Amino acid sequence: MGDGPSSRGDRVADVFRAKAEWHRRQARLPIKEKVRILLELQRQDHLLLKQHRQLEWWEEPWRIDS
Amino acid sequence: MASLPDVFGVLNEMKAEGVVEDYALGGAMAALFYAEPTRTYDLGVFVILPPSDQPIVTLTPVYAWLRARGFEAHAEHVLIHGVPVQLIPAYNELVEEAITAARNHDYDDVTVRVCPPEHLIALALQAGGGKRRERAHQLLETADIDRALLDEIMSRHGIQGPWSHNG
Repeated sequence: MGDGPSSRGDRVADVFRAKAEWHRRQARLPIKEKVRILLELQRQDHLLLKQHRQLEWWEEPWRIDS
Repeated sequence: MASLPDVFGVLNEMKAEGVVEDYALGGAMAALFYAEPTRTYDLGVFVILPPSDQPIVTLTPVYAWLRARGFEAHAEHVLIHGVPVQLIPAYNELVEEAITAARNHDYDDVTVRVCPPEHLIALALQAGGGKRRERAHQLLETADIDRALLDEIMSRHGIQGPWSHNG
């Protein structure tokens, strides 16, 4: 018992709080770590984007070290 | 392999040699210094150009300087050490103010000028569009924002904040 609307609501609120906290932690990462994540996002998203539209010549993952 | 400090070094050299009066990173790359990482494929750089007799603002001398160093412009971007850089001449007072107020950040011992987060929010809302509104929201939620300064900038430049309706 105890899984009524209010406890479900609490759980949802906890999930949102945890998500907001995760975003804040990401924002506070050192800039070099953020750039490393950016380069990874570029590589991951590039394949998906390519399947959906014609990309501009510059929409390519950067070939650099962070 | 080149790295971001190499790109920032070219921007600093541009300023030191007077090719531009000043510069500051804007857009998603600038937001990265204050907020969580989001994907972008280009590096937006606002520039204040030196005074000129020409009636039209042109980046031609900047592109020529870059070309002489082996960095070719293709339409709106210049590939600098493998990174597509979009140079955007200051097109209004808010952009000019954002460049002048830019903060010097250190990246691997290379200084890079970055628009302050309050100006990035104001610029994103002024330019409009879903992606930019999202960036403004993200900065508001996760960056250390001086709300009084942001309100003052927004009010001075006549920009309506999406939060105004909720008080």
